[in-house]
Amino acid sequence: MVFLSLSCWIRSRGPDRYWKVQDIVKNAKHFRGRKNRCYKLAVKAVRRAFVYATKGRRLKKRNMRTLWISRIAAASREHGMKYPVLMHNLTKTSVQLNRRVISDLAITEPRSFLSLAKVARARQQEGFRAALGDGKEPVGVFSRVVLLQ
Amino acid sequence: MTSRGTPSRFLKSVLQNGVGRYVCQLKRLSIIFSKNAQSSLGVRGFIEEGVVDYAKYNPSTVVYVSPQSCRIPKIVAEYLNGNVREEIVTSKTSIQISEVLTKLTNQSGLDIIRLRKPFHTDNPSIQGQWHPFTNRPPCIGPIRPQKQDAEQGLSNI
Repeated sequence: MVFLSLSCWIRSRGPDRYWKVQDIVKNAKHFRGRKNRCYKLAVKAVRRAFVYATKGRRLKKRNMRTLWISRIAAASREHGMKYPVLMHNLTKTSVQLNRRVISDLAITEPRSFLSLAKVARARQQEGFRAALGDGKEPVGVFSRVVLLQ
Repeated sequence: MTSRGTPSRFLKSVLQNGVGRYVCQLKRLSIIFSKNAQSSLGVRGFIEEGVVDYAKYNPSTVVYVSPQSCRIPKIVAEYLNGNVREEIVTSKTSIQISEVLTKLTNQSGLDIIRLRKPFHTDNPSIQGQWHPFTNRPPCIGPIRPQKQDAEQGLSNI
């Protein structure tokens, strides 16, 4: 008797399973519980992690900006000004510093930040005088905007 | 691909390399190629014309040329801090390979991973870092020596 169908029952599976599994599980090595070892659980966890990472890249920009704004607001309140007043007057004097730089100055260079606050205060006072005094020309220096060509 | 899952580092230079003298961080270059394969055509052309000039121009880097029977030609760069970087140069022209070599020469050997910040300072604050008492006026005045009547009274006691 010849057994011919026995050899048909032997299957050859794919040779790369280990590396395909490791590709996913290596991204889950710092997770908690069985999600860092078992493929079935790791697949779902890794997919969620990547989705959160994608969403987080957009959120990071928003969060950093709110952090800078709150720091600038706190620093300007130390000098008796509020955040919107400070920023509006700085833009009117064409000081084109962004919020990141101004918050870093407030932390590491407090005297420069004080001088920025004084510039904004002076511009605010000139604005009030221009609005209330009805003068022909602005008296002060800060309201003259230089147009660079 | 997450920030916590992948390694990251801060920007730094190897022992403040450019401040005084500049030391090229590339220690050793090994060019592995095949004598007869099609993929190593550009590498062979580069070795005919460009390798000797490159080695003369960079005296601090040792260049090894090793023809082997291999399918993919490689350039293995070893740096002074021990990192090893392999570049695969299959089907590249001689000019592209010289560009790859200039890129490897200009790199320091630090890992090519995410940089947390694109800047680094050893002295971030010049006017003094803010602390809660920077903008508060002192409640006691400047410390002066006491008046002489009080001194005599204390010395009597």
